[in-house]
Amino acid sequence: MPLDMEEAKIVVVDFLKSKEKTKSKFYFQDLCKLFEDAGPREVKKVLTELVKTEVMEYWSSGSTTMYGLKGAGKQAGAEGE
Amino acid sequence: MAQHKTPLLDQLESGPWPSFVSDIKQEAANRADKAAKGEIDFQIAVDCPEDLLGVLELSFTDGETHWKHGGIVGVFGYGGGVIGRYCDQPQAFPGVAHFHTVRVAQPAGMFYKSDFLGSICDIWELRGSGLTNMHGSTGDIVLLGTTTPQLEEIFYELTHNLNVDLGGSGSNLRTPAACMGESRCQYACYDTQELCYNLTQEYQDELHRPAFPYKFKFKFDGCPNGCVASIARSDFSVIGTWRDEIRVDQKAVAAYVGGEYPSNAGAHAGGNWGKFDIKAEIVDLCPSQCVRYENGKLEINDKECVRCMHCINTMPRALRIGNDRGATILCGAKAPILDGPQMGSLLVPFIKVGADNDFREVKDVIEGIWDWWMEAGKNRERLGETMKRLGMATLIKAAGVEVDARQVQEPRHNPYIFWKAEEVEGGWERDINEYRKRHQR
Amino acid sequence: MAFISSGYNPEKPMEGRISDIGPRHYSDFLPPVIAKNKGDWDYHEILEPGVLKHVGNSGDVVYTVRVGAARLISVTHIREILSIADQYCGGYVRWTTRNNVEFMVTDEATLKALKADLAGRKFAGGSFKFPIGGTGASISNIVHTQGWIHCHTPATDASGTVKATMDEVFKEFQSMTLPAPVRIAMACCLNMCGAVHCSDIAILGIHRKPPMIDHAYLDNLCEIPLAVASCPTAAIRPTKIEIDGKTLNTVAIKEDRCMFCGNCYTMCPSLPLSDKEGDGIAIMVGGKISNRISQPAFSKVVVPFIPNETPRWPTMTKIIRRILDAYAKNARKYERLGDWATRIGWERFFEICELEFSAHLIDDFRDPAYYTWRQTTQFKF
Repeated sequence: MPLDMEEAKIVVVDFLKSKEKTKSKFYFQDLCKLFEDAGPREVKKVLTELVKTEVMEYWSSGSTTMYGLKGAGKQAGAEGE
Repeated sequence: MAQHKTPLLDQLESGPWPSFVSDIKQEAANRADKAAKGEIDFQIAVDCPEDLLGVLELSFTDGETHWKHGGIVGVFGYGGGVIGRYCDQPQAFPGVAHFHTVRVAQPAGMFYKSDFLGSICDIWELRGSGLTNMHGSTGDIVLLGTTTPQLEEIFYELTHNLNVDLGGSGSNLRTPAACMGESRCQYACYDTQELCYNLTQEYQDELHRPAFPYKFKFKFDGCPNGCVASIARSDFSVIGTWRDEIRVDQKAVAAYVGGEYPSNAGAHAGGNWGKFDIKAEIVDLCPSQCVRYENGKLEINDKECVRCMHCINTMPRALRIGNDRGATILCGAKAPILDGPQMGSLLVPFIKVGADNDFREVKDVIEGIWDWWMEAGKNRERLGETMKRLGMATLIKAAGVEVDARQVQEPRHNPYIFWKAEEVEGGWERDINEYRKRHQR
Repeated sequence: MAFISSGYNPEKPMEGRISDIGPRHYSDFLPPVIAKNKGDWDYHEILEPGVLKHVGNSGDVVYTVRVGAARLISVTHIREILSIADQYCGGYVRWTTRNNVEFMVTDEATLKALKADLAGRKFAGGSFKFPIGGTGASISNIVHTQGWIHCHTPATDASGTVKATMDEVFKEFQSMTLPAPVRIAMACCLNMCGAVHCSDIAILGIHRKPPMIDHAYLDNLCEIPLAVASCPTAAIRPTKIEIDGKTLNTVAIKEDRCMFCGNCYTMCPSLPLSDKEGDGIAIMVGGKISNRISQPAFSKVVVPFIPNETPRWPTMTKIIRRILDAYAKNARKYERLGDWATRIGWERFFEICELEFSAHLIDDFRDPAYYTWRQTTQFKF
């Protein structure tokens, strides 16, 4: 079943905010677990939309990539950007 | 010029092999010259090549790297293509304090025309360090060192003026790479460049927006010689092959035996190997012993041939690949991290590779694998590791291909088959009371 | 410096944005003779080291001159390559997967002039700009990674070790005297951005000391759960530590589990692992990729550690030379380095190459280790 985009966005953002104090970045698979009934491609559409609207951003180790709220986390300050 | 003394690096200017130190110095001198004449309004530090040599000299002295990783930088909306780098001695080397890498997608087969590559040089001189890698390990054009404000400007100019995109990094489809294939090689069994280009375009979203457990690489080799190393380096390796007869030109065979044509296409011309000996060099070395040479005639038992390419490589004017061509697909190759190195394991023995139906058969295999791996793969698990954890048979099923004895080197060594209820006559539902009628407690 | 805008508007990043266009189509860049004969080549020959001749069924001929280049290359040097391409090759040029550059021409007179021109060009420091070679039974260019020039977890330099090695084997680059091609690869840490696990000879940077922990800053710079999750062997756990009467969140590392990969440093700059004494090079040999005669094979570690001897790594180049000379002297025609070692037995390989066999060379990492132990009474004294 396709996800409701607006509802799904809220689920993702609420989850990230609830974890903000300890962990600001998550793997794609971690976020897929928020939507048990939806396939990864459905979840990807939601995350892409959140990145496009500057709510979320990617963090890349070069070999892997994680998702987080824009500007969240300690690395942001450390990178001085 | 030469704001840092580099006595150790200077020792890498001598010797015959092209010196990267001399090249960086020449770039530094050219930048200084153009800045002095006001020819170019450099958008990042003019002297960053000097600072790069300076920080490298420091590493040569203290034996430690002076770079830190940065994970946030990139262009808007893309999860890959830029690698963040910061120098851990920014006061001493301000020109390279922020020094990010940009990966630009290379054309398949890596042919270039001077106007295109020259324009990339112009962008990179103005907006970056003027230093590159031609090419990175995965195959991208790597632009080495710029600041964050320049990233969007570079991306804009690449896409708007040069019609070229960034490559992949992170948990994405990485920039696919192909051997030169049919463009200049008679061994190519399919059009590696076209397949590479077509799949790269088809899967742009997978390349730029990460949704995989880990990186995923496509590589396309035109024949079993494997010039882009797909069998060792790609999660999805497509290697050209054929399933009919090697075409033999007996007259040319005689010319090799007679010494008129150089054996192995001249590749051994410098050694003292003596006269070409077709028995010792072809017949005896055939891994499946399917070649005979008798009465001046070369015979190949094609049914037993494993297409190792040795005889064809050795007598290219006499032997040619067959006409019924396609490719073999192998999956799961990777470098040793973490559980040890893996070669690609054979998934599809033969598949037709044709542009006429938009390579649909290959895409079906890919998409079956991805749908499975995206669900079943753990974080940071390469396809080869998921295969090891869940089994080759699971991959075969996910990819929707037929089970085939060619997929294994040999059958299993243990009888621990995980039979399923539906595979067993009568299923698993049994009546204990019926059983007790035959057996006492 | 005045900021020069490309036209990009940071206020509206999506305005006029072009994305997802991929690489340029290769057909934009094929030399006419290549475009015309694509898919219809008849045969090829190596005329001399570094010079190939391809003949099409059409009767067309293309000559290719292959030259070595550093992978780290400046726009000034690229422009020189392009000006040579403009002068002789109609503006076309190609890179190989091993960082060589190929110039293609269609007649012998241009070929002769091109070769002479390439061979004569040198850098100010004296090295060749365009050494011709790298074909057939030779040592072609080395594929490699970034090293100290740009990477945050290298255990050695890449460009430096490659330059030192290619200077040592330059004769073999410009000739075709070996039993078979010898492919050398270099990776500056065991993550192997440049996969060196299937090369005839591999130069591999390795760390030997676990990361240090910058307890005082760690909780400010890093997210502890991410540092913990980054470790492939689960050697990192969260903990607390007391410094100057203050309790700080930090991590502890089970050092005997560390495989020295540097993944934690990527996630957390408070866990550096570079170290002058700890870091150096391992040598691996006997891998191959081609399916020719024998099957593809992994490289094997034959020297567990050589210190970083900057700027020219003399111990490393001496060992590579010794292995190469033993191979060149003893292997049969067409036999790759690993096939030779397998035929004579690895115990004999160590003897002939005068390399010490130590406990470090016996695999003890997880399942695959078993398959490298000997399960037969067949061996050599």
